[in-house]
Amino acid sequence: MSSPVRERLETPILIIGAGPAGLSCALRLSQLLQQGAEAAGLSPEDITVIEKADSIGMHTLSGAVFDPVALEELLPGHAEGGAPLGVPVAGERLLLLSRRHVFSIPWAARLQRNHGCRVISLGRFTQWLAEQVEAAGVNVLTGLPGAELLIEDGVVMGVRTGDRGREKTGAPGTGFEPGADLRARITILAEGARGSLTRQLIERFALDAQSNPQLYSLGMKELWEVPPGRIAPGTVWHTLGHPLLLSMYGGGWLYGLEENRVSLGLMVGLHYADPLFEPHTALQQFKQHPHLSKVLDGGRLLRYGAKTISTGGYWALPRGHAPGALLIGDAGGYVNTRRMKGIHLAMKTGMLAAETAYAALTARNKTFSGLADFDDRVRTSWVGGEMWAARNFHQGFEHGVVPGIAQGLLQLITRGRGLRRRARNLAGHEYMRPKRKGSAAAPSNFDGQLTFDRQTSVYHSAARHAEQQPAHLLVHDTAICVTRCQTEFGNPCTRFCPAGVYEWVESDSGAALKLNPANCLHCKACDIMDPYRNISWIPPEGGGGPRYDGM
Amino acid sequence: MPGTIVVVAEHTGRDIHPATWDAIALAQRLGPERLVAVMPGAEAVGLEAVFDARVHELWLAQHPRLVSYSAELYCLALQQVIDSLAPSWVIIPHTYQGRDFAPRLAARYGRSLIADCTAVVHDGAGLVFTRPLFQGRLNARVRAVGEMPHFITVQPGCYGQDYAKLENVALRVQRVTPRLDGVLIRAQGGPPQRAAHPSVDLTRAEAIVAVGRGIGSAANLEMARRLADLLGAELAASRPVCDEAWLPMERQIGSSGLTVTPKLYVAIGISGAIQHLAGMRGAGTIVAINKDANAPIFRVADIGVVGDLHEIVPALIQVLESRRDA
Repeated sequence: MSSPVRERLETPILIIGAGPAGLSCALRLSQLLQQGAEAAGLSPEDITVIEKADSIGMHTLSGAVFDPVALEELLPGHAEGGAPLGVPVAGERLLLLSRRHVFSIPWAARLQRNHGCRVISLGRFTQWLAEQVEAAGVNVLTGLPGAELLIEDGVVMGVRTGDRGREKTGAPGTGFEPGADLRARITILAEGARGSLTRQLIERFALDAQSNPQLYSLGMKELWEVPPGRIAPGTVWHTLGHPLLLSMYGGGWLYGLEENRVSLGLMVGLHYADPLFEPHTALQQFKQHPHLSKVLDGGRLLRYGAKTISTGGYWALPRGHAPGALLIGDAGGYVNTRRMKGIHLAMKTGMLAAETAYAALTARNKTFSGLADFDDRVRTSWVGGEMWAARNFHQGFEHGVVPGIAQGLLQLITRGRGLRRRARNLAGHEYMRPKRKGSAAAPSNFDGQLTFDRQTSVYHSAARHAEQQPAHLLVHDTAICVTRCQTEFGNPCTRFCPAGVYEWVESDSGAALKLNPANCLHCKACDIMDPYRNISWIPPEGGGGPRYDGM
Repeated sequence: MPGTIVVVAEHTGRDIHPATWDAIALAQRLGPERLVAVMPGAEAVGLEAVFDARVHELWLAQHPRLVSYSAELYCLALQQVIDSLAPSWVIIPHTYQGRDFAPRLAARYGRSLIADCTAVVHDGAGLVFTRPLFQGRLNARVRAVGEMPHFITVQPGCYGQDYAKLENVALRVQRVTPRLDGVLIRAQGGPPQRAAHPSVDLTRAEAIVAVGRGIGSAANLEMARRLADLLGAELAASRPVCDEAWLPMERQIGSSGLTVTPKLYVAIGISGAIQHLAGMRGAGTIVAINKDANAPIFRVADIGVVGDLHEIVPALIQVLESRRDA
């Protein structure tokens, strides 16, 4: 069969992903193109941003405690007025939870530096930022996923968007529309953690050859409405300990928002050892802790979501540039693991990418080597300073929470060094150990008030996908699931997926793995954590996925 | 000033495809001296009069081989008509049929095709067409360059059939017979098929028997179907059953399927995930049969039966049958 004729659009600058990084990049570049006399004949209309969600902010998920430093640089004065910046942080504590008790950890606020930060809805902030970007004249196209990189002669030449209207079998159905080729001089990937194009770029150009394997954490968030007076807006609690074993990396949060709303969640390092661990169950257990349940009791779950973030830190940063392409935000690994913040770094690396791209586009000598100084721009900016200061923080938790905090405080004194010059790590899935004989996850009861099963959680994510489409989760060898994984690891995909996409079904014809791709929240935990690297996440048909209204 | 413009008229034998009028509306905006509609077919279909005062001329390209649509024969026939009319523009409705043959026809002339146009304006330098890009997210403005004729397809509905009445024009009907005898074609279309429409409307059903994963296998559906027949109910299912293709998607109840409000809803082997409950909570009387007493379906059920559906459903059938026979 002949390949379909594809639409083609030339756009000098193409940005994949309309999150804080991609939108800040677009806005900074449009400012430069408007100010610069020597703008190479380009205007903001020559910038295109594509986003897989069907509207802006619907796939954006964070706690979120927001440091407005980058916003103040991008749009001076807007941090004070205009931008939806929630409430200022007021009253911040780091808590160590046992099953029943709470211990406040002193000096911990020094690790996170939340003073001057705001508790925001990242979805709302992103929608506002997109309005500024569109007002500047940039094309923001929603419902369009990037399916593959266009690479010619070793140079990234743009992106092919996903097809629409394929049947389950992959055959074109009625209303089939092949994806379009967006051809660009500079392609900027702002897909968030573990983006599918980002993965292609890093592998194709070996961008991680010098770095530690990237580590990821899975964040699950719930948005609640609680009875008035339970918690003051701006209250920020971060927790360590229960329900995670002290040997595990991760922790919880609970923030007081306006209008009696509460943001809470649990973040789990996707490099835990026990294959039977269930992150979603842990989130439910977290809420059952008396310190949290007394806030939530009588309240109502509004929304649920899950997403991974890059938490490998400084030593896991891949090279941020390839011929014709740049990596920004979470896609590039720019998260400060000590402050547990990445939005401001996403914005700033987006702005630095814009400045890099502008310099390359206006250079006399029009070669793509112009992008190569992106990493230097990052390193010499305050992004580099933050990443360096937190360089060994995550690895300090290798032996658990207590040594982690101790090392974190030691690193404060030694300007980030701690015990080792450079801490190393493996890829997350390599830490998983075979299941122990007879071990089984404790069955959980969910009361439907405070705690919920995964099905119900997924309902509160409002996830939707076109029913007729091929599965967007590629299990490369389903024989492994039955022959090896079942006995060695007990099919951990059925446990780590926070949306119940993977299901182990026993029937008359035998046991098999069943996929429920319609549940998918696009968190990419499966792509990261499968012990055999047997699962690949690719974007489903455009517009599908969760709807994180107000998250 | 364009001289002659050709619009290809699409018809089913009984009706003119309404997209033809959008194509004519766009053609009129080009300001033609002579607007000619060309309608391929096997014989006159008695629809000539509707073209009166809409175009100057109607050419019926008639040949027995044009009895059903074929891209190759349509192109051959249209090419002969276009050669004798020497138009500056050829306007084609952007229908399934138009999308099929228009690129082939344009390629025969070595001209490009501006597809799926939604509007046209004169900008002083010439005609500028608007067409959507990227599934309608962008509009492109396109100008035709090079030698005429230029080929255009027009998006159905774009002008809302807003064509002008041509004053003082008496429609001239011309019959032409394209030379198609003995021409070999590589593809022959089959008879037209109607797309499958949902065979049931569950949203209007008075009673519904719905099955879930607990039913175990497709073979066990027979028992549910029997129960539905006895109750005068429609058969429906929760998502896992439709995922397995044991029942078609059109019978799926829930947030990714239908929302129903029958007087009686019998849920067999359905645990009652919130996604399913969202689609049937409004039912009058809900009867649930499930072996798990903690299944959430029992929270919404009016009558709950905890037990093995393989025992309970046959027993129910037996009772209903004996009552019917009595």
